[in-house]
Amino acid sequence: MAVTQAAGTRSVRGTGGAARSASPGRGSRPRRRRSGQWAAWAFLAPVVIYMVAFYAYPLYRNLELSLKDYTVRAFVEGNAPFVWFDNYVKVFQNPTFGPALLHTALFTVISIVFQFGLGMALAVFFFQNFRLSATLRALFLVPWLLPLIVSASTWSWMLNSESGVVNSVLEAFGVGQVNWLTSPQWALTSVIIANIWIGIPFNLVILYSGLQNISGDIYEAAALDGANGWQKFWRVTFPLLRPVSAITILLGLVYTLKVFDIIWIMTRGGPANSSTTFATWSYQLGFGSVLPDFSPAAAVGNLLIILALIFGLIYIRTQRKQDLT
Amino acid sequence: MITRVRKGRLIGAAVVTAAVVASLAGCSSSGGSGGDSSSSGGSYTFWDPYPQFDASSDWAKLIDQCGSDAGVTIKRTGYDTTDLTNKALLAGQQHNSPDLLLVDNPVVSTLADAGILTTTEESKLDTTGIQKNIINAGIVDGKTYGVPIGANTLALYYNKAVLSAAGVDVASITDWDSLTAALAKVKAAGKKGITFSAIGTEEGSFQFLPWFWGSGADLMKLDSSKAVSALALWTDWVQKGYAPNSVINNTQTTSWQEFATGDFAFGENGTWQLGNVKKAGIDYGILNIPGASGPNAPVPTGGEFMTIPVQKDTARYATSAKIAKCLTSTANFVKTDNTLSYIAPTEAAQKQQVEQNPELGPWVKAVAAAKGRTSDNLGTKYPKISQQLWGAVQNALSGTKSPEDALKEAQTAAAAALK
Amino acid sequence: MNGKRPWWKTAIGIVLTAAMLFPVYWMINVSLTPATQMRKSPPAWFPVNATFEGYQAVLSQQLPFLATSLVVGLGTVVLTVALAAPAAYSLAKLRPRGRGALNFILLIAQMIPGIIMAMGFYAIYLNLGILNTIPGLILADSTIAVPFGVLIFTAFMSGIPNELMQAAKIDGAGSWRTFRSVVMPVSRNSIVTVSLFAFLWAWSDFIFASTLDSGGSSKPITLGIYAYIGNNNQEWNSIMATAVVASIPAAVLLVLAQRYVAAGVTAGAVKD
Repeated sequence: MAVTQAAGTRSVRGTGGAARSASPGRGSRPRRRRSGQWAAWAFLAPVVIYMVAFYAYPLYRNLELSLKDYTVRAFVEGNAPFVWFDNYVKVFQNPTFGPALLHTALFTVISIVFQFGLGMALAVFFFQNFRLSATLRALFLVPWLLPLIVSASTWSWMLNSESGVVNSVLEAFGVGQVNWLTSPQWALTSVIIANIWIGIPFNLVILYSGLQNISGDIYEAAALDGANGWQKFWRVTFPLLRPVSAITILLGLVYTLKVFDIIWIMTRGGPANSSTTFATWSYQLGFGSVLPDFSPAAAVGNLLIILALIFGLIYIRTQRKQDLT
Repeated sequence: MITRVRKGRLIGAAVVTAAVVASLAGCSSSGGSGGDSSSSGGSYTFWDPYPQFDASSDWAKLIDQCGSDAGVTIKRTGYDTTDLTNKALLAGQQHNSPDLLLVDNPVVSTLADAGILTTTEESKLDTTGIQKNIINAGIVDGKTYGVPIGANTLALYYNKAVLSAAGVDVASITDWDSLTAALAKVKAAGKKGITFSAIGTEEGSFQFLPWFWGSGADLMKLDSSKAVSALALWTDWVQKGYAPNSVINNTQTTSWQEFATGDFAFGENGTWQLGNVKKAGIDYGILNIPGASGPNAPVPTGGEFMTIPVQKDTARYATSAKIAKCLTSTANFVKTDNTLSYIAPTEAAQKQQVEQNPELGPWVKAVAAAKGRTSDNLGTKYPKISQQLWGAVQNALSGTKSPEDALKEAQTAAAAALK
Repeated sequence: MNGKRPWWKTAIGIVLTAAMLFPVYWMINVSLTPATQMRKSPPAWFPVNATFEGYQAVLSQQLPFLATSLVVGLGTVVLTVALAAPAAYSLAKLRPRGRGALNFILLIAQMIPGIIMAMGFYAIYLNLGILNTIPGLILADSTIAVPFGVLIFTAFMSGIPNELMQAAKIDGAGSWRTFRSVVMPVSRNSIVTVSLFAFLWAWSDFIFASTLDSGGSSKPITLGIYAYIGNNNQEWNSIMATAVVASIPAAVLLVLAQRYVAAGVTAGAVKD
């Protein structure tokens, strides 16, 4: 199958080269545009229907939960009073708000920087096609196959203050016991490390396939111009990888903002809220105790959506600029 | 001409799209018959928090037996215990509650508050003979919402080898001071003192409560000097190295694994570990948790309640009650609670259990001294207080705040949450 | 094919992979460690008195769940690609009006917490009668992957040279044929990428499975793990062993897929 597909690609490329000289100006313009729009929306229709069917209700529900005052009884009976932005005000006034915002920012930014940087370095490294490169690259994905409860538990196992392997190595080098998960100074660092580990495969895979899409011809041209490896990366690879990098970072942002299970399993957001992010806070409010408190939980969740919205706007802005150039 | 061709393609695309959507819809509707409907004929649904028991387990067989005795078939599903609360609320909201619901005892008041449980008066569940301190967790505003299936509680497991090597006589441990002295001796002998679970969840509060209540403190007043003395006791142990730093993040299982290494003198853990302690090959003993100045602190009860959720078709209650009655008969109490490693909630069943297994003796005593977390008519106030309590424990043990400050803050937050 | 393949790069690659997979090794180590030694301090680097209790339990109980997970994973892949690829083609190349807004919605959609999605679905599924069914779970799992798929496909497809489409158009191909016979073959890399993640997400999903599928007999493996997480006690041998056993077929699938992609790339690299 691989061969036939590749062959198909090649033949199309061949005709593409030949057809470039022919003039495409047939048919009247306005009519063309309109039918183009029809076709465009026909392709989009399944996804639009799908999105409406599956996302509209949960999104509405999340908003509704945050604007009403849901007790458990109201949740079951569906008769919660409308309270406007009371839940949001309560969330803002909560002493957890400030630290949670700071931790969310630190957690997200540091995770993304390292995930992306390491993912890019590994993608470039594995792109060199040495012996076993494909197999090793596939093995890099193994962490993704593990249910999060297992991988996060393994990390908390390794970072355990008393019986963890990390501390036993450190102690062999003469470093004293570090309370990775149980001291406020280290808890956030620990969950960030685990999250970077989990995020590397994602960045590696997407950036790697981005590299595959860059035509070899360009590198050859660069090589002819006498560019060395580093120059090739900065002048050729990096600019050509920009659209893929942009979406990788954006998606990374969205997913990292949302991360709660890793933190929850490793530290429960503690000790003393030292690793609480908006996502874990929301979960804590909604499901962390015997008595669920859905409304503030949804309000915190919606703050996260707003954060993502801001990043999304920035992304679309830069996309527009690129479209124009 | 070209536009016509393109339109043809367009229609093709639309047809394919429609086909995809239709096939999806087809998939979904054809799978529909498998959905769980609680009202179909002689089938009754039963949810419990025991996902560890599959269809071939004694527990599942017992349920099947009780179902066929009542002339119906039972469809049982085991959920993860934290997941079950959420699932029960969701199902209640959609009028899809199971006929019988077995839930962890502090959840009963939450579900009762949500209005999805029937009282024992409505459902005609029999509560005679159930020990008062155990059923209390299921009583909200004078109404009873279920029957305990069994109870478990906490005590101190001790490792005889470690204690004798350190020269500690267990009989000398009667209060906090003598316990702390014993821990100091153990540490001096090069072994580890005590392990418990102080994690930032309900588990952490559950484990702290024996010490909290043992000081004479009251949950409505978290910052009393008695409460501070209990938290100071734990903090002191961690700071002096009598308890490992890892307790801050320990679940009860992790704490158990630490005790199972054989290095620890004491492990605070539950009735349910009885089977495992034998497997670990530790020569162990059970010590009831001492109070601040005397033996036997009140310990919290654990264990599940059999409840009958509200149904549209109230005629179903009779059969559900029959099934529940079967599961809570003396013979079945003994059978179930031996499987779960719980203590039965009636004296008659307890007596039989101890006859069969004398090791349960200290546990029966512990359960008799235990009290429900939501009792004292705390009800749904308890979860809010408990959340602040475990937060205070975490703050103090991690050294973020002094025990006084941590509890003062907790009291303020709890008072605000209860308003 | 390639002339020089320096061995030292392979060596570095192996070291990096080993570092990356250390936690996985640790998981295997724990899965074999008897309960009495799990929290030994310092920990044992190798399972000295290895116990196979966990594996015995898993192999006797969990294999059917593995099959369910595979079916759900593959179903999610097919559904995701079928929905996302055409949409992305449209967004990237046909430039419909309102695509900015749609991009935006796709982004926000991914921010809705999974648990809220699952709770919303519960009501819908109950009414449709597709609770506890495999197609229902596939639909739910695809909601994690579809917005991702559209965005990734769009990013990659916008890199396809416009001349290629122009050429097809000149040949008389409509949008659908251009999509099918030009865009899709060229997009093989991104199809594999999206499929990979769709599969992995479906494979490791817990929230949807637990809310929408826990009553059925056809549970996925992530729920199977909960057979070892009792309300008071967790059997870590078996939990870790389940993860090990569950990751083996998926890992084999991954390596094969990577081989296939690698083969495809070299085939494509042959110059026209």
